Amino acid sequence: MAKGQPLTFDLDDEDLKLFNEEAEEQLELLDTALVQLEGEPDPDLVQRIFRAAHTLKGSSATIGHRKMASLTHAMETVLDAVRQDRLRPSSAVVDALLAGLDALRILAHEVVTRVDAGVDAEPLEHALHGLLQEAPPGGATVDAPPAAAGAALPANVVEALLAEVDEGRAVFRVHVGIDANCQLPGIRCFQLLQEIEALATIGHLVPEREVIEAGGGEFSMAAVVATMAHDEQLKAALESVADVASLTIESVTVDATLAIEVPAAPQAAPAVAPAGAKALDAPAPGGRPQLTVVEPGESGATNGSAPRKTTSASVRIDVERLDGLMNLVGELVIDRTRLQQIKDHLSTVLKDANLAELTENFEETTAHLARITDELQEEIMRSRMLPVRSVLTRLPRLVRDVAAKCGKKVELLTAGEETELDRSVIEEISDPLVHILRNAVDHGIETPEERRAAGKPETGTVTVTAWNQETYIYLSIQDDGRGIDTRRLRDKAVERGLVTREMADAASDEAVLQYIFLPGLSLAKKITDVSGRGVGMDIVRTNIERLNGQVSIRSTAGKGSEFIIQLPLTLATTKALMVMSNDTVYAIPLVSVTEALSEVEADLHPIAGRTTLRLRGRLLPVVDLARALGDYRTSEHQGPRFVVAAKHSDRQVAFLVDRLLGEQDVVVKSLGDMLGNRKGITGATILGDGTLGLIIDTASLVAATAALQAIA
Amino acid sequence: MAARPIDPAVENQATTTEEHVVIFRLADEFYALDIQAVQEIVRMQAITAIPGSDPWVEGITNLRGRVVPVIDLRRRCGIFASEHTPETRIVVVSSASGMVGLIVDAVSEVMRIPGEQVEQPSSIVSGIDNAYLRGIAKLEDRLVSLVDLSGVLPSDETMYEMTEAQAA
Repeated sequence: MAKGQPLTFDLDDEDLKLFNEEAEEQLELLDTALVQLEGEPDPDLVQRIFRAAHTLKGSSATIGHRKMASLTHAMETVLDAVRQDRLRPSSAVVDALLAGLDALRILAHEVVTRVDAGVDAEPLEHALHGLLQEAPPGGATVDAPPAAAGAALPANVVEALLAEVDEGRAVFRVHVGIDANCQLPGIRCFQLLQEIEALATIGHLVPEREVIEAGGGEFSMAAVVATMAHDEQLKAALESVADVASLTIESVTVDATLAIEVPAAPQAAPAVAPAGAKALDAPAPGGRPQLTVVEPGESGATNGSAPRKTTSASVRIDVERLDGLMNLVGELVIDRTRLQQIKDHLSTVLKDANLAELTENFEETTAHLARITDELQEEIMRSRMLPVRSVLTRLPRLVRDVAAKCGKKVELLTAGEETELDRSVIEEISDPLVHILRNAVDHGIETPEERRAAGKPETGTVTVTAWNQETYIYLSIQDDGRGIDTRRLRDKAVERGLVTREMADAASDEAVLQYIFLPGLSLAKKITDVSGRGVGMDIVRTNIERLNGQVSIRSTAGKGSEFIIQLPLTLATTKALMVMSNDTVYAIPLVSVTEALSEVEADLHPIAGRTTLRLRGRLLPVVDLARALGDYRTSEHQGPRFVVAAKHSDRQVAFLVDRLLGEQDVVVKSLGDMLGNRKGITGATILGDGTLGLIIDTASLVAATAALQAIA
Repeated sequence: MAARPIDPAVENQATTTEEHVVIFRLADEFYALDIQAVQEIVRMQAITAIPGSDPWVEGITNLRGRVVPVIDLRRRCGIFASEHTPETRIVVVSSASGMVGLIVDAVSEVMRIPGEQVEQPSSIVSGIDNAYLRGIAKLEDRLVSLVDLSGVLPSDETMYEMTEAQAA
């Protein structure tokens, strides 16, 4: 099918959600794990990767995405060979698998867009199959797992099974051992056969069906079956039969090597499946995606460490549902504030002795409600928290790709994967992190030759560390590369006309490092597709500051650089100074407020026809807040107004407002797609009386105002 | 409202399906919105103006904890603004860019209009821009213009498609 052609898939919206969630999870797992595959793979890792590929194959086949199913099948076949030690995961193998993974991402996205993205999977599949032909034939004989031994299935059976796979069925190999003390193994075998047939199509059966049906079953039986059911269902059905002593259900890849074997002797093994068979192969048990139990530890270990054994049970909740809860709690917080206001009001009005008890009662109740609301809010905030691991898992792949492109050797270390932060921040943190990391590898780390010459190990190290402190999350990206050459940075900034020569020469090295955040500056000697054209760090900084965060840099020539990103733990609420201007309530995020004072006390001077505030030895331009936002109505406010000084990076501006309303925790709500992101306003918040206040985007407003002043 | 002459040439283009609509009034003309798009109808309530926004954006309002942008349909359609009356309503519709409130002078009824009574808007002059209409229904006693929501709401579809294309 050609690019741009509409596609149809066999799924409704609910299925789509399920498919997306699952695909994303598996793709992410592959992303991290495939990179680790290179070299000496740990069998657990190989098994995890294989399962992820298998799951993707199953789900894509189920919805009728043939191209995706076919590509995953090719990948799965290669992985199976790796799993059985028939193929060494060389970097060529990993490359081919990664190329396949990239295509899979696009194919998975097709399910959302329903448009053919024009991926040509055939060369990829070809390359994957090619890898297998290079593999030493018969290598399986030495150390293949016992399951692979035994009699290979007849070709016609394999073919029939392949047809089943094409129709979206999963293939399992089932081994059942019957208790040695069982008096009637033949009957048990017959029962087992019936249970299997109720759920699955039997491809091959040992002993043969006729034997079992005649009651001639022994203490063990084995089958290769194709089914829409998942292994858990199959397991439950078979375990329902009495006298089952051992049960193995493993998902298998259908190819010519698929074999079957019957355990020779009755085994008195415990009636549980070995860990290898307990796959997350099949889609989550028929239910809604909101409440799927997450297999602990499956979401991917990082950085070559042993697979994590997380014991805490977790529940997956739909983000929309959490957002809904958050909204409700937000409402509750507002009601609490209102009640407190009413209480204060009542207390003053009802200072009558007879009513003292009533007032006291009321005060107690409001206080209790306030405490409960706070706790509830905190709990819900916590439930929105995710470990930063989900972002960090993508990094090894990135570093590998970038390092390969630049001809460098780089090792990535990560720490603090367990650090939790709100999912709203997780979504925003990824881009800046990736950008800085690319820079670190591309510009920071030297080539192996340069490093050798400098007496450093050939392999450079980039360390990404995450940690919490108070209500912020910090991310540090540190490299042991060449560091930033402040002399070159000075020259470049002057050359680009960003600063004057005098300014540059007078500035301290520390101040010069900040130039890296100026728009239009890139230190790359040549433009590469890795580090762009200097549209980098300034945008990184702008994006981080828009989230009320900060980014800082430290660097020592020859030793390396470190970027530290600081972000609030959540974007859902923020502390703000509430002000009123032209009868509209505005919330100014407290992080940016440096001072708030009455017009009367403020040290205001007209300088060159403009009002200027002298504050702690600095002169700040003063602008009317409403006017700066584009509200040109004349204020009807009577009496003295107030001045609020706000900062953005190293700039400060004083905003003139009608009234100060005090500090408050505000729940941030988006203005929606239609109004979009407009200059100066980041969102809205619900006020105590149910009306809306506007949240000020200090960064853009200060930048715009300061720029305006500079021109004037 | 007087009946207007109708070009017979376009009469046959009418669809055969039935339109289930909410009828509202703007100035002295009647308009219809597809009932599927209408989320709810609320009385006029507090609206916070957004400085620097387009003149037809009345502001944002709090609809049970959700922030909903509100459009003054009169201004959007180039009709003189008027004072709000007790009859003024906000019709909340769902659009590609989320929920949007439309201020109308009054909501009169919900009804079904047979498809054969609907004509193409091009031939008939109406109070509002043809780009905002997808048809005109001839009822026994009046004409009702069928509003094309995607025309009335500021469209970001082109932008949306671009990002989609880039993603692919």
